[in-house]
Amino acid sequence: MTTILIMCAGVLVGATVFPERLAKWNSRFQLLLTGLLIFTMGVGLGNRPDFLEELGTLGLDSLIFAAVPILCSVAVVWPLSRRFLEKRDREGE
Amino acid sequence: MAIIALICLAAGVACGLWFLPQEAVNFFTGHSQLVLYLLMFLVGISVGLGKDVFRKVGSYRLRVLLLPAAIIAASVLAGLLCAPLTGRQLAESVCITSGMGWYSLCGILLTDLAGPEAGAVAFLANLLREMLSFLVIPWIAAHLNHYAAIAPAGATSEDTTLAVLIRCTGEEIVVLAVVNGVLCSAAVPFLIRFFYSLLG
Repeated sequence: MTTILIMCAGVLVGATVFPERLAKWNSRFQLLLTGLLIFTMGVGLGNRPDFLEELGTLGLDSLIFAAVPILCSVAVVWPLSRRFLEKRDREGE
Repeated sequence: MAIIALICLAAGVACGLWFLPQEAVNFFTGHSQLVLYLLMFLVGISVGLGKDVFRKVGSYRLRVLLLPAAIIAASVLAGLLCAPLTGRQLAESVCITSGMGWYSLCGILLTDLAGPEAGAVAFLANLLREMLSFLVIPWIAAHLNHYAAIAPAGATSEDTTLAVLIRCTGEEIVVLAVVNGVLCSAAVPFLIRFFYSLLG
């Protein structure tokens, strides 16, 4: 909920006072923070006490439980969005 | 973007495992929420700069529910498929995939419901879903379509993976991703309890 509220504050700033000429810098800074966020998540993951053991014993199951939902989600959303959302975009043009 | 994400992730894991002293690890992990907040503020600015984003998103009307409904259904279906693949109980399997990337909550709930081993798999699996999302979203956005790029993210499309989504898609998709993330996140605790009591 906090993240949504902070994002809403950003939307308000972007829509009112943020100069458009700084949009490129905003984008670059986002890339930097995204990299830092992923790095931080990696640090937290690597620092788990039994990370390598867990990865060895539960890793394959975890990978299956991660990859199959991704594949299924994309396999369901892609055709549906082509049928109902992209069609709407084409009609709107 | 995928290559940057992979390098950052690998470097982070290596630093967490071998190179960083515990104080530095605590510093990074203790400030990750702050980084996320700052990132969300900047993403909000990008959305605010696109003047007619909300009018466009409003024009979707009920179709705005299509993405979360499809992602929830697909994640549950994935749980049904994963059970025979991993040899785990159906209830456990569906509950793990119903986490849709929300690893902290899913790990805790599964530990309570099915024990620490199931909790650890739930935690790792949903964390991996988020990590893999960082890597596959750029490819999906480039080769399939921008709507499908939201699909891997599941419940995380309102926060961590949103930053990758805005780089690979656009402001309109970001607003749809936030709506999707909020609805998927709201559904996670209900789905886990419901499927565990139904199938357990």
